[in-house]
Amino acid sequence: MIRDFTLNDVLYLVAAMRWTLALTAIAFIGGGIVGLSVALLRVSAMAPLRWIGTVYVHVVQGTPLLAWLFVFFFGLSIVGVEVSPWIAAAAAYSIYAGAFLGEIWRGCLQAIPKTQWEAGASLGLGIGAQLRCIIIPQAVRLGIPPTVGFLVQLIKNTSLAAVIGFVELTREGQLTTAVTFRPFTVYLTVAALYFALCFPLTQVSRRLERRLHVAR
Amino acid sequence: MSLVELKDVVKRYGQNQVLNGVSLTVEKGEIIAIIGRSGSGKSTMLRCVNGLEPIQGGSVSFEGTKVNDPNTDLRKLRQHVGIVFQSFNLFPHLSVEKNITLAPKVVKGVAPAEARALAESVLRKVGLAEKIDAYPDQLSGGQQQRVAIARSLAMQPTLMLFDEITSALDPELVGEVLKTLEEMARDGMTMMLVTHEIGFARRVANRVVFMHHGKIWEQGPAAETLGKPATPELETFLSAVLH
Repeated sequence: MIRDFTLNDVLYLVAAMRWTLALTAIAFIGGGIVGLSVALLRVSAMAPLRWIGTVYVHVVQGTPLLAWLFVFFFGLSIVGVEVSPWIAAAAAYSIYAGAFLGEIWRGCLQAIPKTQWEAGASLGLGIGAQLRCIIIPQAVRLGIPPTVGFLVQLIKNTSLAAVIGFVELTREGQLTTAVTFRPFTVYLTVAALYFALCFPLTQVSRRLERRLHVAR
Repeated sequence: MSLVELKDVVKRYGQNQVLNGVSLTVEKGEIIAIIGRSGSGKSTMLRCVNGLEPIQGGSVSFEGTKVNDPNTDLRKLRQHVGIVFQSFNLFPHLSVEKNITLAPKVVKGVAPAEARALAESVLRKVGLAEKIDAYPDQLSGGQQQRVAIARSLAMQPTLMLFDEITSALDPELVGEVLKTLEEMARDGMTMMLVTHEIGFARRVANRVVFMHHGKIWEQGPAAETLGKPATPELETFLSAVLH
């Protein structure tokens, strides 16, 4: 039975955005924790720690996110571990986002001259205090634009979670198309909704960058 | 016991031997000027004193504590040894006050209210009391370097190391920084300074150390050593610097 694409369908799409947002939040928080650890590993003074970080980044950046979703959702159930879609998505997205955020933040940490670490060390500050009081505050300012850029990618990549059963924005669009046969209108609406999420973010990023610069 | 004692210090960067068995003692209250061509190892030697450079041979000690011992808590040691760098290395995201009070607050646990007073007092010493709320990029090179000196002084060090601190400055700004150093000398601070300012070394230093090829080639009382070099290398160096 084919029916019209109505305002109700638009509302369903908007409602599906909450899963897109929830997935993004989980991915960003999980990825942030992993990413910070990866970045710290990669700037560590100890070579083995750096290798661990490097291998992690290469492996994850060299494999598709879709594969990680499959591994956690279908792969683990084959070996007898039942995983809920939420856990599988959280794990896969954290691993994926962690590698990319880790690389972005490593770049920001390394952009701070070595002499800043030395100046801190010479004043008797330990490594932790050097990072906390000197390096990270300067790196954060550099890190905002690329981090927000990645966040925008992340929002769009949450559509992949549809394969493990999430009815987020893109999947809801597919379902709507199936009953209305209006792919052009439906996907245009979906695209507009993604844009509505992403565009303000880039604007906020710009403003934040400017404000942090003035306040140093 | 001498304040600083370097014994047969060897430092290599890969194949490149930078320090070739350097021995030097510094007594409390002494002002030592270290001169020599670039690449002669003078900055490296200075950086060995507070453990910024790990060494491959010999020993470095400060107040009897071995700097190159892996069990030595360098954080503790560095509270007593201040260093000022050629490129200032102020923290650009912090105000002058925060630059100065960061280490006292974090390392020594000085209370915020006291910290501000501490910043005021060390800034007065370098003649920059009015710049307490400025940010580094609002200051001239000479002012930044004086803030860097104040930042070190705030830790109340026993020894101050100066690594070519006027080399990155415009000529007209060198004087204000040297004046600050002279005042510290008058206050009795023990200082080791790597410098190209021969006139200043002669005027202020007790002892001049001339480094050449990673070794201490010649040393002695400032006026004597600079006035009548014992080695042709120092003579050549001086005539090149003083032309």
